[in-house]
Amino acid sequence: MSSESSKKRKPKVIRSDGAPAEGKRNRSDTEQEGKYYSEEAEVDLRDPGRDYELYKYTCQELQRLMAEIQDLKSRGGKDVAVEIEDRRIQSCVHFMTLKKLNRLAHIRLKKGRDQTHEAKQKVDAYHLQLQNLLYEVMHLQKEITKCLEFKSKHEEIDLVSLEEFYKEAPPDISKAEVTMGDPHQQTLARLDWELEQRKRLAEKYRECLSNKEKILKEIEVKKEYLSSLQPRLNSIMQASLPVQEYLFMPFDQAHKQYETARHLPPPLYVLFVQATAYGQACDKTLSVAIEGSVDEAKALFKPPEDSQDDESDSDAEEEQTTKRRRPTLGVQLDDKRKEMLKRHPLSVMLDLKCKDDSVLHLTFYYLMNLNIMTVKAKVMTATELITPISAGDLLSPDSVLSCLYPGDHGKKTPNPANQYQFDKVGILTLRDYVLDLGHPYLWVQKLGGLHFPKEQPQHTVIADHSLSASHMETTMKLLKTRVQSRLALHKQFASLEHGIVPVTSDCQYLFPAKVVSRLVKWVMIAHEDYMELHFTKDIVEAGLAEDTNLYYMALVERGTAKLQAAVVLNPGYSSIPPVFQLCLNWKGEKTNSNDDNIRAMESEVNVCYKELCGPRPSHQLLTNQLQRLCVLLDVYLETDSHDDSVEGPKEFPQEKMCLRLFRGPSRMKPFKYNHPQGFFSHR
Amino acid sequence: MERAVPHAVPLGQMEVFQALQRLHMTIFSQSVSPCGKFLAAGNNYGQIAIFSLSAALSSEAKEESKKPVVTFQAHDGPVYSMVSTDRHLLSAGDGEVKSWLWAEILKKGCKELWRRQPPYRTSLEVPEINALLLVPKENSLILAGGDCQLHTMDLETGAFTRALRGHTDYIHCLALRERSPEVLSGGEDGAVRLWDLRTAKEVQTIEVYKHEECSRPHNGRWIGCLATDSDWMVCGGGPALTLWHLRSSTPTTIFPMRAPQKHVTFYQDLILSAGQGRCVNQWQLSGELKAQVPGSSPGLLSLSLNQQPAAPECKVLTAAGNSCRVDVFTNLGYRAFSLSF
Repeated sequence: MSSESSKKRKPKVIRSDGAPAEGKRNRSDTEQEGKYYSEEAEVDLRDPGRDYELYKYTCQELQRLMAEIQDLKSRGGKDVAVEIEDRRIQSCVHFMTLKKLNRLAHIRLKKGRDQTHEAKQKVDAYHLQLQNLLYEVMHLQKEITKCLEFKSKHEEIDLVSLEEFYKEAPPDISKAEVTMGDPHQQTLARLDWELEQRKRLAEKYRECLSNKEKILKEIEVKKEYLSSLQPRLNSIMQASLPVQEYLFMPFDQAHKQYETARHLPPPLYVLFVQATAYGQACDKTLSVAIEGSVDEAKALFKPPEDSQDDESDSDAEEEQTTKRRRPTLGVQLDDKRKEMLKRHPLSVMLDLKCKDDSVLHLTFYYLMNLNIMTVKAKVMTATELITPISAGDLLSPDSVLSCLYPGDHGKKTPNPANQYQFDKVGILTLRDYVLDLGHPYLWVQKLGGLHFPKEQPQHTVIADHSLSASHMETTMKLLKTRVQSRLALHKQFASLEHGIVPVTSDCQYLFPAKVVSRLVKWVMIAHEDYMELHFTKDIVEAGLAEDTNLYYMALVERGTAKLQAAVVLNPGYSSIPPVFQLCLNWKGEKTNSNDDNIRAMESEVNVCYKELCGPRPSHQLLTNQLQRLCVLLDVYLETDSHDDSVEGPKEFPQEKMCLRLFRGPSRMKPFKYNHPQGFFSHR
Repeated sequence: MERAVPHAVPLGQMEVFQALQRLHMTIFSQSVSPCGKFLAAGNNYGQIAIFSLSAALSSEAKEESKKPVVTFQAHDGPVYSMVSTDRHLLSAGDGEVKSWLWAEILKKGCKELWRRQPPYRTSLEVPEINALLLVPKENSLILAGGDCQLHTMDLETGAFTRALRGHTDYIHCLALRERSPEVLSGGEDGAVRLWDLRTAKEVQTIEVYKHEECSRPHNGRWIGCLATDSDWMVCGGGPALTLWHLRSSTPTTIFPMRAPQKHVTFYQDLILSAGQGRCVNQWQLSGELKAQVPGSSPGLLSLSLNQQPAAPECKVLTAAGNSCRVDVFTNLGYRAFSLSF
């Protein structure tokens, strides 16, 4: 307000603006309803360019005036002061103009600023609005997408397919006419139906649960009932024992055996199982039993602390004793040996009954530390046998099962790992102990399912059922044949010792009716003696005279002729034939090395043995061979070519019918007997 | 005294039987192939084994070289006699003679080329053929044996042309006198008979047992072996081994050998004989025993000298008899090794 009141306008400047300019000098209330001086309004009316020009002019004037004043002041004088005053007034006026212009400029500036400000404010407001709208748009868009993406829970429910729905749902839910057209309604209907179904199923479930509870209760009741039954059944079983025995169905016995069998060591168990199975399935003459103390077997599985205590105790004892005396070292070793060779307390007994009521008792043991099985055999005949002297070894427990399979002599341990164990305790070979422990034949190991590969000793050999099963039948058959052939030999030996060759009637056809040579002696000789004989060298060199064989000497005589026959009987008789070697003492000593005919006789008995086997099981082989030997001696002696230089008749007249006496480059005698014509010919 | 027993293998039934067969085997005859590299041996089971001499004699010979290259069953009965022509091997034993091609014989499953049986008089028993003799000039084969006759067979046609009768007991051996084609035969009746092939008649008979110097009645009178060198003949058997001058029918040298000899042959300026007893005996013509070389068989039945020109490196003497082995002598002084069935 003060600025307005102090404003002065220069007339030359103001007048051009209009008339109302003069009236605005006094700012008072009275002029408010009419015209009032407003500089702002003036600003709008003036031209800034002109004002600028005015400013420049004014500044110039001022400069001029100042310069004149300067001049005047420098000149000095009296009138100078008036002119200076005049000029001073003029400059003041100019100053006033300048001030006005300044004010105007400020006002313009302010206006300009205000206008800019306004405009800016507007722009800002629009901008804000725009932004708000944009935000809103974005927000709405988000909402829209949200809405679009919205998955209602109902979509997660697997609804039944449309066809099914229309088929199954009752019409008041499906409302086909409405729902067909309207998918929304359709979905609703389907959901309704779903709900219905679920409710029904929940009902069913609850029903089933309650059913289950009922049934569980029933089961409990029945279980109680049954458990009360058990003791009653036991008592019935006890009562039925006498009936079982009466009917020969020893189920209980078998059951007990199975109970005991559980304590058997694995190889014996395999043997027991396989033998029982074989006995039941194929061979009624085989019976299996378990012997021994079950308690001891159980005791073997004592907890280790006990046995360790025992060991430490015994060690302490041993220490004490070694301090006292020396010889206990041997005792120690002996104990260790005994420990190594210890047998399992249980053993399996097999009884094989043969046709003639003789029984082979086999007892199988298991040596725990060596992991091998051994067997002891005994032959029991129905009637007491009088053993002929030569038959001593035939049925002896030591040798009756020797070489059941070729080479299986049972004197060595089949487990190669045992050798290392033996070395520790100073046992050279198991042979020294077989009498006591039984023989560790290879077939016994196989029956127990133990297989020891020859090349490398394995650490653990486990009992294998299939190995046992595959060998069971053959071994049993071999055992039976072995016993029967031995018994047959036993009988034959008894007869042979009396000088009679027992030829059965079905083998008579092999020999002529009249046989003059007689068997005078039949004895058993030792292996070493056989090897010492001078006419057995060939057999020994051919490897046919092993120490597992049995050796016999037979003597056949006729007149002055004596024929010695050394017989090798292989344990595998009668599938392996006995081998004869001959030595004839008549007009000198003749053996196969100096008389071709003796060689031919040996060949007739050794090589052509198959004719002499007789009916299966060919137990007649040995006796037929001996009889044939007698026939051959007859032929030999009777066909001897007469020596013209010697006087007297032939010692043995020819009684045999022969086509030709000699044949071939070696001048063979006719040794072959032809039945039924009864003549002798050459092979 | 312990004797070493070589076998450690447990013997089953088959092995025992085979061992027994080998123990009782007798090799009766041998024959060398035309190329000189192979030797055929026939045994009492009717088998013929072909050995490769060149392989067994070579410096890389192993144990298997001493085994037969092939063995086959040739006859049902023993193979008593074998000869070789320049292409065929002829074997005879139990009454018939069979022919085999040497070129085919080494292949498995060889079959005989032909087999012929001479016309026998007797029908009760088929007589054996103990000796075969080739007459190269006539291209014929002479067979003699159990029926006491000599039969000639033409090798081209296979027809039996002649039957020479005269022996009273079966014939053991034959020998050929080349210059005048005459055949000598020795038999169980103790006589050596000479036959002229052109006239088919017996021209000379020497009854050896009737001469006191050489007869040995305790052995019998049979003539087991014959060999001739045109003017000379050596024969042995029951009587002592004697050298005869044929024209005069006189025994000139008697060889002091007690055991009956089963095979004799002239070799260079020596006489080789073998028979009962292990040794091959070498005699000078004067009657002195030059050497006695032991073989591996307890008795010998046949000697064979491989003089085939095609294989001079296989020039050996082989001897076989009462065992399954054929001894090979590379140098007459010692036994080099034995082939075995």
